[in-house]
Amino acid sequence: MLPLYRTLLYLYPTGFRCEFGEEVLEVLSEVQGEIRKKSAMARIFFAVREAGGLLRGGLHERLRSITGSHDSGIFSLGRFAMKSEFRFPKAAVGLMVVILAAVMFTIEKAKAISASVPHANPSVGHIQPAQMTILPSLLVAMFGAIVVGLIGWGILFALHRSGVQQLSVMNPSTGVRANK
Amino acid sequence: MEVSEPVLLILLSLAEQPRHGYAILQDTARMSDGRVRLSTGTLYGALRRLLDEKWIERFKERDNSRGKQAYRLTTEGRRNLQMEVARMKRLTRLAALRVARKET
Repeated sequence: MLPLYRTLLYLYPTGFRCEFGEEVLEVLSEVQGEIRKKSAMARIFFAVREAGGLLRGGLHERLRSITGSHDSGIFSLGRFAMKSEFRFPKAAVGLMVVILAAVMFTIEKAKAISASVPHANPSVGHIQPAQMTILPSLLVAMFGAIVVGLIGWGILFALHRSGVQQLSVMNPSTGVRANK
Repeated sequence: MEVSEPVLLILLSLAEQPRHGYAILQDTARMSDGRVRLSTGTLYGALRRLLDEKWIERFKERDNSRGKQAYRLTTEGRRNLQMEVARMKRLTRLAALRVARKET
Protein backbone atom coordinates (compact mmCIF):
# COMPACT_ATOMS: atom_id res chain seq x y z
CA MET A 1 0.00 0.00 0.00
CA LEU A 2 2.95 2.34 0.50
CA PRO A 3 3.22 3.18 -3.23
CA LEU A 4 -0.44 4.24 -3.16
CA TYR A 5 0.15 6.44 -0.11
CA ARG A 6 3.24 7.88 -1.78
CA THR A 7 1.12 8.75 -4.84
CA LEU A 8 -1.59 10.30 -2.66
CA LEU A 9 1.03 12.51 -1.06
CA TYR A 10 1.29 14.29 -4.42
CA LEU A 11 -2.11 15.80 -3.62
CA TYR A 12 -0.34 17.88 -0.98
CA PRO A 13 1.44 21.13 -1.85
CA THR A 14 5.20 20.79 -2.44
CA GLY A 15 6.07 22.64 0.78
CA PHE A 16 4.08 20.22 2.92
CA ARG A 17 5.47 17.21 1.03
CA CYS A 18 9.06 18.34 1.49
CA GLU A 19 8.58 19.02 5.18
CA PHE A 20 6.45 16.05 6.23
CA GLY A 21 6.36 13.62 3.27
CA GLU A 22 9.04 11.16 4.41
CA GLU A 23 7.85 11.33 8.00
CA VAL A 24 4.26 10.55 6.97
CA LEU A 25 5.45 7.51 4.97
CA GLU A 26 7.58 6.36 7.88
CA VAL A 27 4.60 6.53 10.26
CA LEU A 28 2.40 4.78 7.69
CA SER A 29 4.88 1.92 7.37
CA GLU A 30 5.02 1.60 11.18
CA VAL A 31 1.22 1.49 11.42
CA GLN A 32 1.13 -1.00 8.56
CA GLY A 33 3.58 -3.23 10.40
CA GLU A 34 1.28 -3.20 13.42
CA ILE A 35 -1.85 -3.92 11.38
CA ARG A 36 -0.21 -6.81 9.46
CA LYS A 37 -1.05 -9.27 12.24
CA LYS A 38 -4.75 -8.39 12.12
CA SER A 39 -7.57 -9.80 9.98
CA ALA A 40 -8.02 -9.02 6.28
CA MET A 41 -11.10 -6.94 7.12
CA ALA A 42 -9.13 -4.81 9.59
CA ARG A 43 -6.38 -4.33 6.99
CA ILE A 44 -8.91 -3.18 4.38
CA PHE A 45 -10.50 -0.82 6.90
CA PHE A 46 -7.09 0.57 7.78
CA ALA A 47 -6.15 1.07 4.10
CA VAL A 48 -9.42 2.89 3.35
CA ARG A 49 -9.08 5.08 6.44
CA GLU A 50 -5.48 6.03 5.68
CA ALA A 51 -6.13 6.67 1.98
CA GLY A 52 -9.20 8.76 2.92
CA GLY A 53 -7.15 10.69 5.47
CA LEU A 54 -4.46 11.49 2.90
CA LEU A 55 -7.08 12.45 0.31
CA ARG A 56 -8.90 14.75 2.69
CA GLY A 57 -5.70 16.18 4.15
CA GLY A 58 -4.23 16.74 0.68
CA LEU A 59 -7.31 18.61 -0.52
CA HIS A 60 -7.40 20.66 2.66
CA GLU A 61 -3.74 21.65 2.40
CA ARG A 62 -4.10 22.38 -1.31
CA LEU A 63 -7.15 24.57 -0.68
CA ARG A 64 -5.32 26.34 2.12
CA SER A 65 -2.34 27.05 -0.13
CA ILE A 66 -4.64 28.42 -2.85
CA THR A 67 -6.89 30.55 -0.67
CA GLY A 68 -4.14 31.49 1.78
CA SER A 69 -6.70 31.20 4.54
CA HIS A 70 -5.87 29.52 7.81
CA ASP A 71 -8.32 26.72 8.36
CA SER A 72 -11.78 26.57 7.01
CA GLY A 73 -14.58 25.03 8.97
CA ILE A 74 -15.33 22.71 6.06
CA PHE A 75 -12.54 20.39 7.11
CA SER A 76 -13.02 20.80 10.82
CA LEU A 77 -11.76 17.75 12.66
CA GLY A 78 -14.82 17.02 14.72
CA ARG A 79 -16.21 17.68 18.17
CA PHE A 80 -15.36 20.64 20.42
CA ALA A 81 -14.73 22.76 17.33
CA MET A 82 -16.44 25.82 18.70
CA LYS A 83 -15.49 29.44 18.25
CA SER A 84 -16.56 32.04 20.73
CA GLU A 85 -16.14 35.00 18.39
CA PHE A 86 -18.73 36.14 15.87
CA ARG A 87 -18.56 34.34 12.52
CA PHE A 88 -19.91 35.89 9.39
CA PRO A 89 -21.76 33.18 7.45
CA LYS A 90 -19.93 32.24 4.27
CA ALA A 91 -23.24 31.70 2.48
CA ALA A 92 -24.07 35.37 3.12
CA VAL A 93 -20.91 36.44 1.27
CA GLY A 94 -21.91 34.31 -1.72
CA LEU A 95 -25.42 35.72 -1.64
CA MET A 96 -24.11 39.29 -1.49
CA VAL A 97 -21.88 38.64 -4.51
CA VAL A 98 -24.86 37.27 -6.45
CA ILE A 99 -27.00 40.28 -5.50
CA LEU A 100 -24.21 42.69 -6.46
CA ALA A 101 -23.81 40.94 -9.81
CA ALA A 102 -27.59 41.16 -10.39
CA VAL A 103 -27.61 44.87 -9.55
CA MET A 104 -24.66 45.56 -11.89
CA PHE A 105 -26.34 43.55 -14.63
CA THR A 106 -29.59 45.51 -14.17
CA ILE A 107 -27.73 48.83 -14.37
CA GLU A 108 -25.99 47.77 -17.58
CA LYS A 109 -29.29 46.58 -19.03
CA ALA A 110 -30.95 49.90 -18.12
CA LYS A 111 -28.11 51.80 -19.79
CA ALA A 112 -28.53 49.72 -22.94
CA ILE A 113 -32.30 50.37 -23.01
CA SER A 114 -31.72 54.06 -22.37
CA ALA A 115 -29.27 54.24 -25.28
CA SER A 116 -31.52 52.30 -27.69
CA VAL A 117 -34.85 54.12 -27.12
CA PRO A 118 -34.04 57.67 -26.11
CA HIS A 119 -36.29 59.44 -28.60
CA ALA A 120 -38.58 56.69 -29.90
CA ASN A 121 -41.55 58.09 -28.00
CA PRO A 122 -41.31 61.85 -27.42
CA SER A 123 -43.95 61.76 -24.67
CA VAL A 124 -41.76 59.41 -22.50
CA GLY A 125 -38.79 61.72 -22.53
CA HIS A 126 -35.16 60.84 -21.80
CA ILE A 127 -34.61 57.78 -19.60
CA GLN A 128 -32.10 58.50 -16.81
CA PRO A 129 -29.50 55.88 -15.83
CA ALA A 130 -30.49 54.12 -12.62
CA GLN A 131 -27.21 54.31 -10.68
CA MET A 132 -27.70 57.97 -9.79
CA THR A 133 -30.61 57.02 -7.56
CA ILE A 134 -29.13 53.88 -5.99
CA LEU A 135 -26.93 55.52 -3.35
CA PRO A 136 -29.61 57.86 -1.94
CA SER A 137 -32.08 54.96 -1.95
CA LEU A 138 -29.63 52.76 -0.05
CA LEU A 139 -29.03 55.51 2.51
CA VAL A 140 -32.76 56.00 2.99
CA ALA A 141 -33.26 52.23 3.35
CA MET A 142 -30.42 51.99 5.91
CA PHE A 143 -31.79 54.93 7.87
CA GLY A 144 -35.24 53.33 7.82
CA ALA A 145 -33.80 50.00 9.05
CA ILE A 146 -31.97 51.75 11.90
CA VAL A 147 -35.13 53.61 12.95
CA VAL A 148 -37.19 50.38 12.85
CA GLY A 149 -34.47 48.57 14.83
CA LEU A 150 -34.38 51.30 17.47
CA ILE A 151 -38.16 51.30 17.81
CA GLY A 152 -38.16 47.50 18.15
CA TRP A 153 -35.42 47.61 20.77
CA GLY A 154 -37.28 50.36 22.62
CA ILE A 155 -40.42 48.21 22.74
CA LEU A 156 -38.45 45.19 24.02
CA PHE A 157 -36.72 47.38 26.60
CA ALA A 158 -40.05 48.78 27.77
CA LEU A 159 -41.40 45.24 28.09
CA HIS A 160 -38.25 44.18 30.03
CA ARG A 161 -37.36 41.61 27.41
CA SER A 162 -34.20 43.05 25.89
CA GLY A 163 -30.92 41.09 25.90
CA VAL A 164 -29.35 43.62 28.27
CA GLN A 165 -31.97 42.97 30.91
CA GLN A 166 -31.76 39.20 30.37
CA LEU A 167 -27.99 39.37 30.96
CA SER A 168 -28.31 41.55 34.05
CA VAL A 169 -30.32 38.85 35.83
CA MET A 170 -27.96 36.07 34.76
CA ASN A 171 -25.76 34.38 37.35
CA PRO A 172 -22.23 34.76 35.88
CA SER A 173 -20.85 31.63 37.54
CA THR A 174 -23.49 29.24 36.27
CA GLY A 175 -24.90 31.03 33.28
CA VAL A 176 -28.35 30.40 34.74
CA ARG A 177 -30.96 33.09 35.13
CA ALA A 178 -31.18 34.07 38.78
CA ASN A 179 -34.52 33.81 40.56
CA LYS A 180 -36.02 37.12 41.54
CA MET B 1 -7.52 28.26 16.90
CA GLU B 2 -10.25 25.64 16.97
CA VAL B 3 -9.57 22.80 19.38
CA SER B 4 -11.35 19.76 18.05
CA GLU B 5 -11.33 16.47 19.92
CA PRO B 6 -8.45 14.98 17.86
CA VAL B 7 -6.40 18.16 18.36
CA LEU B 8 -7.14 18.09 22.08
CA LEU B 9 -5.97 14.48 22.29
CA ILE B 10 -2.78 15.31 20.39
CA LEU B 11 -2.07 18.19 22.76
CA LEU B 12 -2.77 16.02 25.80
CA SER B 13 -0.45 13.38 24.43
CA LEU B 14 2.35 15.93 24.04
CA ALA B 15 1.57 17.51 27.42
CA GLU B 16 2.80 14.35 29.10
CA GLN B 17 6.05 14.06 27.15
CA PRO B 18 7.50 14.78 23.69
CA ARG B 19 6.49 12.17 21.15
CA HIS B 20 6.99 11.33 17.48
CA GLY B 21 4.15 10.77 15.01
CA TYR B 22 3.55 7.06 15.52
CA ALA B 23 3.71 7.38 19.32
CA ILE B 24 1.10 10.18 19.17
CA LEU B 25 -1.23 7.94 17.14
CA GLN B 26 -0.87 5.12 19.67
CA ASP B 27 -1.35 7.42 22.64
CA THR B 28 -4.46 9.14 21.27
CA ALA B 29 -6.07 5.75 20.61
CA ARG B 30 -5.13 4.61 24.12
CA MET B 31 -6.46 7.80 25.77
CA SER B 32 -9.82 7.51 24.03
CA ASP B 33 -10.08 3.73 24.65
CA GLY B 34 -9.75 3.12 20.91
CA ARG B 35 -12.66 5.39 20.05
CA VAL B 36 -10.52 7.99 18.28
CA ARG B 37 -8.15 6.48 15.76
CA LEU B 38 -6.52 9.24 13.77
CA SER B 39 -5.39 8.60 10.25
CA THR B 40 -1.84 9.66 9.47
CA GLY B 41 -3.11 12.36 7.10
CA THR B 42 -5.34 13.82 9.81
CA LEU B 43 -2.50 13.69 12.34
CA TYR B 44 -0.05 15.57 10.15
CA GLY B 45 -2.66 18.13 9.11
CA ALA B 46 -3.26 18.88 12.79
CA LEU B 47 0.48 18.90 13.57
CA ARG B 48 1.10 21.36 10.75
CA ARG B 49 -1.60 23.69 12.10
CA LEU B 50 -0.24 23.44 15.64
CA LEU B 51 3.28 24.17 14.37
CA ASP B 52 2.01 27.19 12.41
CA GLU B 53 0.24 28.51 15.50
CA LYS B 54 3.39 27.82 17.58
CA TRP B 55 1.52 25.61 20.04
CA ILE B 56 4.09 22.85 19.43
CA GLU B 57 7.64 22.62 18.14
CA ARG B 58 9.53 20.00 16.19
CA PHE B 59 12.94 18.61 17.04
CA LYS B 60 15.15 15.63 16.26
CA GLU B 61 15.20 12.92 18.91
CA ARG B 62 18.79 12.54 20.14
CA ASP B 63 18.41 9.20 21.89
CA ASN B 64 17.24 7.58 18.68
CA SER B 65 19.83 6.37 16.19
CA ARG B 66 17.47 7.15 13.30
CA GLY B 67 17.08 10.73 14.52
CA LYS B 68 13.32 10.74 14.24
CA GLN B 69 11.41 14.00 14.25
CA ALA B 70 9.51 14.49 17.49
CA TYR B 71 7.10 17.10 18.77
CA ARG B 72 6.68 18.87 22.10
CA LEU B 73 4.44 21.57 23.53
CA THR B 74 5.74 25.12 23.60
CA THR B 75 5.16 27.32 26.65
CA GLU B 76 2.43 29.11 24.72
CA GLY B 77 0.88 25.78 23.70
CA ARG B 78 0.81 24.57 27.30
CA ARG B 79 -0.79 27.82 28.44
CA ASN B 80 -3.42 27.60 25.68
CA LEU B 81 -4.10 23.98 26.57
CA GLN B 82 -4.60 24.92 30.23
CA MET B 83 -7.05 27.63 29.16
CA GLU B 84 -8.92 25.16 26.96
CA VAL B 85 -9.12 22.62 29.79
CA ALA B 86 -10.40 25.35 32.14
CA ARG B 87 -13.04 26.32 29.55
CA MET B 88 -14.14 22.71 29.23
CA LYS B 89 -14.29 22.34 33.02
CA ARG B 90 -16.61 25.35 33.22
CA LEU B 91 -18.73 23.90 30.43
CA THR B 92 -19.02 20.45 32.00
CA ARG B 93 -19.82 22.00 35.41
CA LEU B 94 -22.59 24.04 33.82
CA ALA B 95 -23.82 20.99 31.90
CA ALA B 96 -23.93 18.91 35.08
CA LEU B 97 -25.87 21.66 36.89
CA ARG B 98 -28.41 22.01 34.12
CA VAL B 99 -28.91 18.29 33.63
CA ALA B 100 -29.37 17.80 37.37
CA ARG B 101 -31.89 20.67 37.53
CA LYS B 102 -33.89 19.19 34.69
CA GLU B 103 -34.16 15.82 36.43
CA THR B 104 -35.48 17.23 39.71
